[in-house]
Amino acid sequence: MRKLIAAVFTLSIFISLIIIAINGCGGDRNMDETEELEPAEIREYEGEKLSSINAFRENSIKGPQHIDIESYRLKIRGLVENPAHYTYDEVINNYKHYKKVVTLDCVEGWSVDILWEGMLVRELIAESSPLPSTKVVIFHAYDGYTTSFSLDYIMGNDIIMAYKMNEVALPSERGYPFQLVAESKWGYKWIRWITEIELSDDVNYRGYWESRGYSNTGDLDKGFSEE
Amino acid sequence: MKSLARQKLFKSIIHWLLTFLVIVYVVTGFGITEFRTVEALTLGLLTKNLAFKIHNNLWIPFIILLGLHIFLSLIRRRKKVVYGL
Repeated sequence: MRKLIAAVFTLSIFISLIIIAINGCGGDRNMDETEELEPAEIREYEGEKLSSINAFRENSIKGPQHIDIESYRLKIRGLVENPAHYTYDEVINNYKHYKKVVTLDCVEGWSVDILWEGMLVRELIAESSPLPSTKVVIFHAYDGYTTSFSLDYIMGNDIIMAYKMNEVALPSERGYPFQLVAESKWGYKWIRWITEIELSDDVNYRGYWESRGYSNTGDLDKGFSEE
Repeated sequence: MKSLARQKLFKSIIHWLLTFLVIVYVVTGFGITEFRTVEALTLGLLTKNLAFKIHNNLWIPFIILLGLHIFLSLIRRRKKVVYGL
């Protein structure tokens, strides 16, 4: 009787080990397949600490915009020889990418250090050949927001139109598909959800906040309120 | 007696001005951070830019009123101790 119990016990352990071995090996799962997950944002770049992409305060004029990327077109128009309409992929694939850590300083008093990646605006504009009379570059956003810069500022600096921040694609609330990285300018010049770049000779043009009393140049080293 | 009444009135004015200033401080603060809501609630009267201007210029009167408020309270407390008022 004792032998029978020992035999049953040994047999049950043996069967259990076989079951565990089969399941442990993954059964019908294919271990060679690797599924790519969404990348996580980086918080340090070349020894420099970065802010989180969630460290922004939501302060857009109409709340976060959700753009259908299939129908999205980036227009470059106005005083140019070749007006252009680009899809999101065309912008991403046809232009060289640049990355840079730039601090966004908001007039509300907060700031964030972010690694931005995108295309140079001057390269996008140059492709459309601006006319000599162009003096101002006006950016339009999906929510109706606008802001403008002198052509000299755009052409004379490495101004990025970002599609990535901290190595991840811009989330909708941060300006997907494109946000301007208006270096050395107050945060209200960093237009999000860009849909149009208009070249103009209207030096008196004022964007959304600029027409409500904010400085037109938006230089960081000066106050943002226009007296 | 007259001077005591005057002092009480002055203290009361300071108190209410300080209360008003604190409320304005809070409202203009919201006018900056929650500008969409505040602009709608004030029918566009308190814009973000105006809220900024008011908010940024309030700290001097705020400190003066707060200083006066504390000072008057201290005087009254001292009088209470000395004269048993």
